[in-house]
Amino acid sequence: MGDAFKMVVLIAFRNLVASRLKTAIVGGIIFFGAALVVVGTSLLDSVVESMSRSIIGSVAGHAQVYSAKSRDELEVMGGFDLEGPDIAPIDDFAKLKAVLMQVPNVKAVVPMGISGAMVTSGNSIDVALAELRGVVRKKIGGDTSAATIAAYDDGKAHVRQMVKVLEGDIENMAQLHDEKTLAPEDAATVRKAAQDEFWVEFDKNPLDSLEFLENRIAPQATDADLLFLRYVGTDPAAFARSFDRMKVADGTAIPPGQRGFLFAKYIYEEQVKLKTARRLDKIKDGLDNRTVTIASDPELQRFVRENHSQVREILLQLDGRKTELFRAKLRQELGSGEADVGKLLSAFLQTTDENFARRYAFFYKELAPALELYRVRIGDTLTIKAFTKSGYVQSVNLKVYGTFDFRGLEKSPLAGALSVMDMVSFRELYGFLTDDKRQELAALKAASGATDVSRDNAEAELFGKKADAVPGRVIEADATPGLDADKALSGLAGRLRRDDLAARVFDPKQLTQGVVLNAAVILENPRLLEKSMADIEAAGAAAGLPLRAISWQKASGLIGQFVLMMRMVLYTAVLIIFVVALVIINNALVMATLERVREIGTLRAVGAQRRFILAMLVIEAMVVGLLFGALGAGAGAAIIAVVGKVGIPAANQIFNFFFSGPRLYPVLGATSLGAALAIVLLVSALSSFYPAWLAMRVTPRQAMQSED
Amino acid sequence: MNLIVSVKNATKDYMLGTTVVPAVRGISLDVHQGEFLAIAGPSGSGKTTFLNLVGCVDTPTSGSVEVAGKDTRVLSERELTSLRLHTIGFIFQSFNLVSVLSVFQNVELPLLLQQTLGGAERRKRVTELLERVGLRDYLKHRPNELSGGQRQRVAIARALVTRPQLVLADEPTANLDSVTGEKILDLMKELNRADQTTFIFSTHDARVIAHANAVVRLADGKLVDRLSAAEAAKLGLVAGVQAAEAH
Repeated sequence: MGDAFKMVVLIAFRNLVASRLKTAIVGGIIFFGAALVVVGTSLLDSVVESMSRSIIGSVAGHAQVYSAKSRDELEVMGGFDLEGPDIAPIDDFAKLKAVLMQVPNVKAVVPMGISGAMVTSGNSIDVALAELRGVVRKKIGGDTSAATIAAYDDGKAHVRQMVKVLEGDIENMAQLHDEKTLAPEDAATVRKAAQDEFWVEFDKNPLDSLEFLENRIAPQATDADLLFLRYVGTDPAAFARSFDRMKVADGTAIPPGQRGFLFAKYIYEEQVKLKTARRLDKIKDGLDNRTVTIASDPELQRFVRENHSQVREILLQLDGRKTELFRAKLRQELGSGEADVGKLLSAFLQTTDENFARRYAFFYKELAPALELYRVRIGDTLTIKAFTKSGYVQSVNLKVYGTFDFRGLEKSPLAGALSVMDMVSFRELYGFLTDDKRQELAALKAASGATDVSRDNAEAELFGKKADAVPGRVIEADATPGLDADKALSGLAGRLRRDDLAARVFDPKQLTQGVVLNAAVILENPRLLEKSMADIEAAGAAAGLPLRAISWQKASGLIGQFVLMMRMVLYTAVLIIFVVALVIINNALVMATLERVREIGTLRAVGAQRRFILAMLVIEAMVVGLLFGALGAGAGAAIIAVVGKVGIPAANQIFNFFFSGPRLYPVLGATSLGAALAIVLLVSALSSFYPAWLAMRVTPRQAMQSED
Repeated sequence: MNLIVSVKNATKDYMLGTTVVPAVRGISLDVHQGEFLAIAGPSGSGKTTFLNLVGCVDTPTSGSVEVAGKDTRVLSERELTSLRLHTIGFIFQSFNLVSVLSVFQNVELPLLLQQTLGGAERRKRVTELLERVGLRDYLKHRPNELSGGQRQRVAIARALVTRPQLVLADEPTANLDSVTGEKILDLMKELNRADQTTFIFSTHDARVIAHANAVVRLADGKLVDRLSAAEAAKLGLVAGVQAAEAH
């Protein structure tokens, strides 16, 4: 058989060479298809791999476990719904952990509760006015020291600056909107406060003027910047231990037994940082890491444009002294005689490829030290308010201990999506309480009875107290926007909030027991995920604790779906290409067979069995498939190898998200190569079926037919 | 002498659309080893169909065809193929060489299909045979590098390489000029004489018939008569040829 087989292969090869055009067309399609499969699946696998690393390593673990009684499905990365899914709490984490740790392959279990809140950073004019009022009081009280007078002038200039910004805003609004939509009296009050006369009057009668500013101006200056925070309530120590890429980037970890909040570094930079500074960072990142230029990249141009036109946020921070400082520095740097700080800033931020490096350095060296670069500083207290399950509004004050990120995922928006708070605060915030606490509360409730505290009183009392206890500002967060103010802080909530302030320390044991919403499960061997999930559900059922276990992909909700969708798109594309390839190859082979009827008939007459003919044609198709498939796969592998070294720069934020960083370094997967070759062989075999069938029906008689 | 082919009252009908076309209508013929037999007749007389029956390419609609003692009607497709491979050699009007193979490989092909001889033996046999047909220097040539006559010599070598009992040639000279055709016939006849290989060839060329030692005349799918060479000459079937030779 060996020599005959060699002959068949020889005939196949020679035929391929003889009909070069056909071979080139068929081979080209197979080459392209194989290369596409290798490149496509490698890219996709790399994206999935980096996304899964982001998701698994930052919060989800390999699987998420939650109560089977839940009405909704758990979503750790969050959907569009602010309140999140309705997850039934699990009463005792200690029991859950005990059940889960018995399941083979489970390495670690981390308690969790995931939710989100809108946080409004303090209205900067309120803060400025409060400071000014303090100084005015001192001054009226007879303190005429140089420091007080300087502070008074500074504060006044700051508020004046803010009023000026506000006036600018109103002018802009007037241009954009119909006059009717603006309340004319509001505009009038701002214009009045911007006039010199008002400030002359201010010196004479500061308290009345302050009241005017507080009541009429400040409400108009609501900072539009809401901060949407998603956080996971957890055992911070267990979290850091189990998600071992986690590291504290700024500040410190939440100390054991302390209430506290750790910002995800990405969110902290992206949302909390002064926008101008953040945009400068992003331009720098684009220039350094993506090697684009401002002149060529629309995204960088947008950042420059926004920096250039939106100096408001910086202006609001400038009191009299700082205004002077900025004016002097910017005039010197720009060599300009301009007096208006806003215009100077605007000109300074009009950066180009030529001046960017210098201005970036100047900004951070000369200007930034005088600015609050972050709306929430490390060490500040963050107040988060949320609706409890029973409808109360609950709030907790949490010290911001620092920020964290994950090694290798520093720039991943996915991994940086969730901040961390201690589980105890989370439980109280959402009213998931232990039995003990519940009883205690019932007693409290009975005792407090009708002594409702009005909102204003509660605020004053609480903030007064807090200001003494903890230095720094208070940032308020509303877990649900548009909540009913009357209902908000009545009775129990007020008491609890005071409790919260008093009892900042808790027994660390509370983290290992008590209510949780879900738990992240880290596995020894992630490949056994499906089996382990089934085991977990079975173990839960056996322990009388009905559990639902979902994979990280499912837990990541839309994002996991998206990965699935991308896979479907790729596979559909591959399928279409190969169906087309199949049709074309089939046609080419049918043509080739028809051209060779006489040759085939001759072979049959001379004594070749049908299977010889079949082998000849199939080998021919296979040779083309393997040869060009291997070449195509090789080309794909080469592309991936090159691209894997250089990396694919994330063209914009969206890609940054999917690449889990600024660059994707695709890796060639053995499965990609295998899949490409398997598909190519399958297509070659399938496409030669019909022509081979035709060829087998050729009778030796057809060899006798004369050429004409 | 051994009976190689025994045809008894064979008929062959073809379907042309819905009409039955009788191509062979009851032919009986015996062919013995060593014969050099011409099947003569005009176009459409059933020559090719008759050769197909004898060559085990087709089986008769009725009657019987025995080749090398085997009744072709009872053989399966595979057995017929095997019978062709081992007992029959074919020479075609249009040579029908595999264009992508060299002269040597074309001739070697049937031996490869037989899978009985080793490489060295095959090489020896193929080379010897090509030497006999005068193509010793063309082993590595491709068919399209050869003239028509040379190609037919390759085809003859291919037909004989398995040392078949019977060689069938369908109008072997139709695509050749008369001088070349003559030489091909001479070659065939020489091989017939040397190895006692039976040759049956169809032709409607009178000059070709002159080389046969017997002539079977067909008309309308029926056997008209079977003549010896002398009888054929008498009837003037070969007169043209003789005239041409005398010229």
